Amino acid sequence: MLKGKVALVTGSSRGIGRAIALRLAREGADVIVNYFRRREAAEQTARDIEELGVKASVIRANVGDPEKLDEMFDTVAASFGRLDIFVSNAASGLPRSALDLDAKVWGWTMDINARAFLLGAQRAAGLMEGRGGKIVAITSLGSKLVWPGYTAIGVSKATLEALVRYLAVELAPKDICVNAVGASFVPTEVGLSYAGGAGEEDEGAFWKTTPAGRMVSPEDVAGVVAFLCGSESFMIRGQTIIVDGGFSLTPLNLKGKGGEN
Amino acid sequence: MSAAEETIKDIIVKIVHCDRKILTPESTFQDMKADSLDMVQVLVALEDEFGIEIPDEEAQKFKNFGDFVSFVEARVAEKK
Ligand SMILES: NC(=O)c1ccc[n+]([C@@H]2O[C@H](COP(=O)([O-])OP(=O)(O)OC[C@H]3O[C@@H](n4cnc5c(N)ncnc54)[C@H](OP(=O)(O)O)[C@@H]3O)[C@@H](O)[C@H]2O)c1
Repeated sequence: MLKGKVALVTGSSRGIGRAIALRLAREGADVIVNYFRRREAAEQTARDIEELGVKASVIRANVGDPEKLDEMFDTVAASFGRLDIFVSNAASGLPRSALDLDAKVWGWTMDINARAFLLGAQRAAGLMEGRGGKIVAITSLGSKLVWPGYTAIGVSKATLEALVRYLAVELAPKDICVNAVGASFVPTEVGLSYAGGAGEEDEGAFWKTTPAGRMVSPEDVAGVVAFLCGSESFMIRGQTIIVDGGFSLTPLNLKGKGGEN
Repeated sequence: MSAAEETIKDIIVKIVHCDRKILTPESTFQDMKADSLDMVQVLVALEDEFGIEIPDEEAQKFKNFGDFVSFVEARVAEKK
């Protein structure tokens, strides 16, 4: 479906980004894997992509640093000359409540999670010029719901989702579709650090009350990203598609069936 | 004092905003008042400056400024 397309997925050395990179590769796209600290993991993702019969390359860049982000896109331009798909997935942050958030942690989080999407989309749009393209940002339910220590990340995701709407309209004349995919809890390294007691063995694990009856997997998120990168989603613009197994629909988790009144 | 040591001091002072005078081989990250964000930024700046790699697993073992310097010097020597 995506044969011959070139895709860049930020933060694809592990977790959800890795699943997205592999899924796009399975659909036939050549994939550029971006990472920050874990070179070995990134190279493993690239090897796994190549095993699917498509091209992979690895670029180290802190997407929160505009200079490094620019260098990454320069490398993409030099080696591929174009880009069809840009998935802004990399995210970072430290657990802090609003009252403990200092300028440094706020800046770090916003730079990596929100500003990188703006600057990345600008560069991606340039490389998609004249051929159309797909841009997808990965966001989280924390943009609307409140979780302990998630303040800066949640706010950065709200920014991201608003930006997705603006970019969807502004890039539409260039034939570029922009959307976001928002997950609830996904058991990756960072997901587990925020969930606390969310393991399979935990009786009271919150996700056990999820209507769909199981946790969201990285592959669940990747599947929706692949759909948004395909031709059938052409009329979906500026949306945040929630992948949570219905979790956010039943916040009260009521057990009764209701009386006749 | 090696040239590498001076450069490492420059980088730490710039990122952590600590007093250069406190940087002795024994000074710890607590002495520098460096938090985990400072640490990542220092590591990345050192990697870029010296063209080496400092895996997080290695960096976690550093106890003081001296450990930083010896690791960087060893990696730079290996490269030559
Ligand atoms: N897990 C969840 O429960 C959950 C829920 C909702 C939304 N999300 C979102 O899904 C996305 C992926 O999350 P995840 O759970 O897969 O995270 P993860 O397992 O912690 O992986 C983070 C990825 O981002 C990369 N990264 C971190 N900082 C970076 C930077 N400054 N520049 C470039 N790359 C950077 C990491 O690279 P290295 O390996 O090199 O460090 C890694 O590949 C994020 O946008 C997150 O907010 C996650």
